[in-house]
Amino acid sequence: MGNSVSQPLDRRAVLRGALAGGAALALGGAAGGCATHQDAKRIATDNRWRQFAGTTLNFVSESTAPTAAIADNLDPFVELTGIRVNIVTLELSAMTQKVALDLAGGQSQYQLIYADPYNVLAPYSKGLVDLRELAEDPSLPSMEGGFDDFIDTQFDAAGKFGDGDEVFAIPYDCPTIIWQYRADLFEKYHDRMAADLGFDPTPGLERTWEQYFKIANWFTRNADEVPYGTGHQAKQHGSLMCDFSNVLWAFGGDYFADGERVGRFGVRDPGPCQLASDEAIAAAEFYHRLLSIADPSSISWDWNGLSPAFRAGRFAMCPDWHENAAGNEEAFPGKMGYAPLPKGPARSANHYGGTGISISANTLPNERKAAWLFVVWSTSVRTQLDGLKSEVGGGTPTRESVYGLPEVKAAERRPSKMPNILTAPTMRQAWAPENIGLRPKIPMWNECETTIYTQLSRMLAGELSPADAMREAATRIDRITERGWVS
Amino acid sequence: MTTTLETPPRTDPPRPTRRRPRLGFSAGMMAPGIVLLAILSIVPLLTIIAMSFSRVRLLGGVGFDGAGLTYWVRLFTDIDLAMQWVRTIVFFALTVGLEMLLGLIFALCLWKLMRGRNAILSLFLLPMFVAPVIVGLLGRFLTDSTFGLYSWLLGLIGYQGDILGGQYSAFAAVVAMDIWEWTPLITLIALAGLTSVPASVREAAAIDGANPWQTLRHVILPSISGVLLVALLIRSMDAIRYFDIIAVTTNGGPADATKVVPIRLYETAFRFFDLGYAAAIGLVMLAVTIAIARAFVGVLERKGLTR
Repeated sequence: MGNSVSQPLDRRAVLRGALAGGAALALGGAAGGCATHQDAKRIATDNRWRQFAGTTLNFVSESTAPTAAIADNLDPFVELTGIRVNIVTLELSAMTQKVALDLAGGQSQYQLIYADPYNVLAPYSKGLVDLRELAEDPSLPSMEGGFDDFIDTQFDAAGKFGDGDEVFAIPYDCPTIIWQYRADLFEKYHDRMAADLGFDPTPGLERTWEQYFKIANWFTRNADEVPYGTGHQAKQHGSLMCDFSNVLWAFGGDYFADGERVGRFGVRDPGPCQLASDEAIAAAEFYHRLLSIADPSSISWDWNGLSPAFRAGRFAMCPDWHENAAGNEEAFPGKMGYAPLPKGPARSANHYGGTGISISANTLPNERKAAWLFVVWSTSVRTQLDGLKSEVGGGTPTRESVYGLPEVKAAERRPSKMPNILTAPTMRQAWAPENIGLRPKIPMWNECETTIYTQLSRMLAGELSPADAMREAATRIDRITERGWVS
Repeated sequence: MTTTLETPPRTDPPRPTRRRPRLGFSAGMMAPGIVLLAILSIVPLLTIIAMSFSRVRLLGGVGFDGAGLTYWVRLFTDIDLAMQWVRTIVFFALTVGLEMLLGLIFALCLWKLMRGRNAILSLFLLPMFVAPVIVGLLGRFLTDSTFGLYSWLLGLIGYQGDILGGQYSAFAAVVAMDIWEWTPLITLIALAGLTSVPASVREAAAIDGANPWQTLRHVILPSISGVLLVALLIRSMDAIRYFDIIAVTTNGGPADATKVVPIRLYETAFRFFDLGYAAAIGLVMLAVTIAIARAFVGVLERKGLTR
């Protein structure tokens, strides 16, 4: 038996070793992680759709009706390309977080990204592929109708950022806030309401927000079928900013100067906030007054809470996202009506909240091309048509040509197998450049938005006057934009 | 015989040498754990400290640009954050205080129960096994003004407001949801303490003529004070990080009435991606949590209950 003498370790040595070991393992893990990221295999074939058969792609999306419809209808894509797509759906802020961390990780766990223009595109446009390169690649299937088939304002708002011509995303969905109302109640009370109020209450572009207020008040006081005239998505949440923005723009206010350019194309430095303007304060005063006669629970509803309350018969009308029409039609078959939002002193403004589908710039060359196949397929005429017929959700098309299809035209009238398309005549008006409402596309919008809805929430709770809420929001937004954005 | 005693050569007393701590076998055994700790805690902690002095870039790989004390200056001049700390402390005091009180009362009731205790205890503990986010969703459903049971019940007694729409009612609702979920934990811990109170001590108190209140005040509570402190420590460290229920019910609103520091931290880090500032907020939260834990451990040490 040998005389082995153990060498006791001192504490410092143990700690040094532990730190070194930890660092080594961390580096090893990182290196191992890098080593696992391999490009998709390309198969030699004449069929441009099948050259990446066997590849698996991951698509991260907000949990929306259009994505639910796509997820339910993936078989045609798998048959066409041999590519499998895993769709991960999350609440918007959780999805944004996943995307940001994935872009930081440098490996594109998610090759396909639901690029919300304000949460993803504006802050992380440098992390997305310029899709023009893929659209022009002759080895890949071309996009039918090209980029021109997409509705112009939506193509710019959802797909571009800044002054360049890069196309970072293809319009994928297009929820927009419009005036949704119980047509049966408007019909029943039309004459009485007209006599009492002194104007034709029929919803449409001719109505003003002041008239909307009077109609809502009239329903609250006179209609037995509903306890309240109007409901709103006014929880301390992004939905409150969306709801208020319709009024802000209608009254001639805006978040920043040159709002149309900031909203449609986006900028990195938007300049001073305009919320302290007289128009913005007038809008806030009106919104405060409107919410005082709305269903009191409005202040606890976000965009997921408003529609169920409407379907439960709590109020006669509301500004709501047009993609909720299908659900509303189910609750009130044949009794729903749609119109662009009322106008204010300046115009009618209908808040657009559409999104594009994009590809992570961390993708490897073949993986990127495989992802492009999905982009082309998911925004194709056929898929958008299938989305309209989907029983699990579906939005409305982002392509002009789909609205022109005879089948779709016919579905604009009841009885319709595509309930969302019943809003199409309204949407044509709402998306007209003079009526669309585009929130600022700036990298730091998330923080600005939080400031806006927090101050609005304080206003609705009675902590701040409308004027103080607007001034406070403007001051805070200026502080945020002055800090700039590091991506 | 003469004995000569020679004076031994004078030598300086040996200088005390610095004894290096030897950990030996135990150090070897601890090393894997420490390595794991280094990966899971020390490296992230050092990274977060570095982040609090940097502007963090995400695209193209995470990168730090020096920002000096910018975020720390902002932290100590942020009035909103100060308000959120006040709200967090109020929330903390209400939830932990009420949970301790109710938990103890329920534990005493269950302790006195002779028959069916296990069945009732099993039912009583159910909320504790529900994930907090589910508690939040359940709470949102039950307080919904259109179809919520609690809204309907409150409507019957004349309350017409929206529970999650009012500043005070929303705050009370999220406090109540936390109490509903975690009171059973306190009950369970207190009950474990109560069952260990020796019957002989209680009998001695009874023989001495102590009434039930005196027995509780002078015999039972001192006997289970150590256990209650541990329960308080566990809940305190959790309550300061309260997030899930508020995130799914009120999102911090209305009018910031329920925006506590963890919600603000999440918002700053993962909605605004202002990671430097989030790191500074997070470090302060960590320091507060450690201070609370140390305070309780200090009390336990003074009572001689840590060994």
